[in-house]
Amino acid sequence: MPRVWAVMGLLLFCRVAASSGGEEPSWAELIDGHIQARLDAAGVPRAPVADDAEFLRRVSLDVHGVVPSAAETARFLDSPDPDKRSRWIEQLLADARFGEHLADEWRRRLISPLANENRMQSDRFAAWLAERFNSHAAWDRIVFELLTAEGTMEQNPAVTYLIEGRNPLGVTDLTDLTSRYFLGVRLNCAQCHDHPFVAWTRQDYWGMAAFFAQIQTPGRPKLVHQVGVRDDPRMTLAVLAGQDMIEGFLHQPPTFLGGERLPEGETGVYRRALAHWMTSPENPYFARAAVNRTWWKLFGRGLVQPVDDMHSANPPSHPELLDALARRFIASGFDLRALYRGILNSRTYQQTSRPGEQPDREAELFARMPIKVLTAEQLYDSLVRVLGPPARAKEVNARLGARHEFTQFFADSGDPDPTRYERGIPHLLRLMNSPQFGERNVAALVAQAASPGRSADEVVDELFLAILSRRPTESERELVRKHLSQEGAARPGAYQELAWALLMSSEFSLNH
Amino acid sequence: MSAASTRRRFLAAAAAGSTLTGWLGRLAAATDDHPPAKSCILLWMSGGPSHLDTFDLKPQAPDHIRGEFRPIDTTVPGIQISEHFPQLARLMQHAAILRSMSTVESDHQLATYHLHTGYQQRAGGVSFPSLGSMVARELGERDVPLPNFVCIGAGPRHATRAGFLGPDFQPLDVTDPARGVDFIEPLTTPNQFLRQYDLLTHLETSFQERYRAEAARAHSATLSRAVRLMTSEQKRAFDLSQEPEAVRDRYGRGAFGQGCLMARRLIEAGVRCVEVLMGDGVAWDTHRDNFPRTRALSAEVDVGMAALIEDLQQRGRLDSTLVVWMGEFGRSPQTTSDGGRNHWAKAWSTVLAGGGIRGGQVVGRTDRDAAEVLDRPISVTDFLGTICTILGIDYTRENRAPGVERPIPIVDTTKEVRLLTELL
Repeated sequence: MPRVWAVMGLLLFCRVAASSGGEEPSWAELIDGHIQARLDAAGVPRAPVADDAEFLRRVSLDVHGVVPSAAETARFLDSPDPDKRSRWIEQLLADARFGEHLADEWRRRLISPLANENRMQSDRFAAWLAERFNSHAAWDRIVFELLTAEGTMEQNPAVTYLIEGRNPLGVTDLTDLTSRYFLGVRLNCAQCHDHPFVAWTRQDYWGMAAFFAQIQTPGRPKLVHQVGVRDDPRMTLAVLAGQDMIEGFLHQPPTFLGGERLPEGETGVYRRALAHWMTSPENPYFARAAVNRTWWKLFGRGLVQPVDDMHSANPPSHPELLDALARRFIASGFDLRALYRGILNSRTYQQTSRPGEQPDREAELFARMPIKVLTAEQLYDSLVRVLGPPARAKEVNARLGARHEFTQFFADSGDPDPTRYERGIPHLLRLMNSPQFGERNVAALVAQAASPGRSADEVVDELFLAILSRRPTESERELVRKHLSQEGAARPGAYQELAWALLMSSEFSLNH
Repeated sequence: MSAASTRRRFLAAAAAGSTLTGWLGRLAAATDDHPPAKSCILLWMSGGPSHLDTFDLKPQAPDHIRGEFRPIDTTVPGIQISEHFPQLARLMQHAAILRSMSTVESDHQLATYHLHTGYQQRAGGVSFPSLGSMVARELGERDVPLPNFVCIGAGPRHATRAGFLGPDFQPLDVTDPARGVDFIEPLTTPNQFLRQYDLLTHLETSFQERYRAEAARAHSATLSRAVRLMTSEQKRAFDLSQEPEAVRDRYGRGAFGQGCLMARRLIEAGVRCVEVLMGDGVAWDTHRDNFPRTRALSAEVDVGMAALIEDLQQRGRLDSTLVVWMGEFGRSPQTTSDGGRNHWAKAWSTVLAGGGIRGGQVVGRTDRDAAEVLDRPISVTDFLGTICTILGIDYTRENRAPGVERPIPIVDTTKEVRLLTELL
């Protein structure tokens, strides 16, 4: 099936290339062309381009994981520069926050929720990832390093994935996570039975699992924390199955997904062979998985949906586009910044999230931007940007650091759908009533906004800019005027009420 | 033999056979002489209590297995429990001891998740709802000020969440019963709070009109539920100072006893499931000093749990409230050189009381050393299927999880589910 997509993609690609006068279209043109073609065929109109404020806040949250400051926002909104959007994108991509935010995202995925909760290890791993992203290491290189890392977590943070990415029955979890996050396929059901709808069989699953056999410590899985990851050539699936209880066990030699066996007599380190196969430009899954994962994170929905369930019976919504992007990504040398730059500069990324007449169809066809929920990290970093560092709260045990505690409290489990709001009453009570980001911080923000000589309208503008990264609409301005004049002249207390309401709004907790 | 009991026996025998009759058995339980229970209190014993030193004592076993405690008689002839449960021994007629729990996970986190959700946790996989969230979903009334699921005490948060059921069924956590719900009072005066909340609702409406997003709807709905709780009369259920001192004493003044008291108050206020987490994730994990620690913990459980059962009974709520006592596994028959016991999932005990079950019985049997199940092994799915049935929940009902093709039944029916019909 991937080959069929490849051929179809190539045909269409040639057509797109031809239509633009033989010159290769830019990434953004490529994206917009394919999206528009499907919209035309379906008769669904495209949403208008987002205004500058919507764009600025969205792209800042997506790339840096934090809202822009009030000053940056005002400068951006007031700038007449026609290229200000692409300039802002370049500025974001060049900043170290790019790698730090990406590291936050990948740390949540690559460290199993079952791992021993050790903030030091997790932070060291995130710092390692951030450094790799920021020093322009290519995605194939980073994944190669993750899969072939050796030693203990203290010596080498890269090895954290192989240790903490798994529960005590390591071989099965590493098989699941590696295929899910790096290849975009769900093999886990095939651990115990052949998948009812999909081509994956138990042979596929255990063939991949066999690559991880050499780094296991059977019988004493937690031993790996002390001795670190190293390869023992005597260790095979059969040995493991003899010593640990492995559900659905099937003896298979190391076999790459798709059926190609590790050559007989190959005595090297299995996972090195796996890493070479996975990150090769010829690998049919690797680049597509990275493209689809990035698209999913930015658009809240994959070209293949669910994001990690790419198989023949679940085709992409835009097969040619996925193929073309994957090919470009490979040609760029697996350069994540190039992929981001391409998507962020497209009209498709920059259109508004306000719905039109057919909201469901629009979402499926990327006719408008979906609305995403801020992750725990985005929420914390944005609160700090707006309100400054958190105050102490007696109910909060921040022994391991305020950011760590906050993100543990607010984090969604698993690999959450970016568009789904999962928080409950405890989270809202805490947002509304915790002194952490409470009166003191809000009072300081208001004091700053209400600097001498500013009119009431200007103070209100400033609070909207600081919190929602935009100026109020006319009707909001009217609403706020009414509120401020409830008890005569504008009181400092009334500004604080406004700031609180803006911070608690859906708009602040979402990325629209 | 009465007609009803003949019929029950027939159904019980039939239910053991096939899924169809299993369904008949549940139907019978729901329509026959057992009106379904309406609420559930789960007493969670973090760390895994030793079955040999609580509800499955083995006086005939050799010294190094038998341990230090002696069995005592209960109000039910032939049933003995640990000498450190004198109060519970008086209430045995209301309870059933399940002595043949036999499960597969012996790691704390994995077992805690498995026993709470009925599914095994896989890295990166579906996140499954806990029993409390499922009860809240199935039995909870919508549009009430209190959440339908409350967790009291510090403990394993990863296993008690709503998973794919979403924010409406997320538990409200009360970390310390003496402190009540954290952040339930506004930082400002009530008047100022209402003023700013009023402004907020206008902003919410205006955003929702422009963007019509499901995530915004969910955020606003959760926000208004949180504010409704803050401003409700019923939040007094979280305030233990409303209880007479004598009642507070009767439950024991520790976090567990006070948690049991809060659970009773919450059930009376309409909450469908309350989980009281004992021991901050580790208390019963007695790899060393098993006997002094188990003795102290047992004393706390005895006072709190007995007060709960009796109080529920005196207030006419015991038949409609199922009390479940359980941990994530049992402990090894062999004692270690540090006087401890290690993890043991092959054979262990749980206790059910109230909820209209047929009390005063023991289900299942282990061997001389309480190491293996001899009779009536009870899996996680058997156990949770039975709890659902007692509560009047059809455990075969299927849910849809976002991004998952297959429907997911409340209890994993791809595994065999053998209900404990003798309790129904």
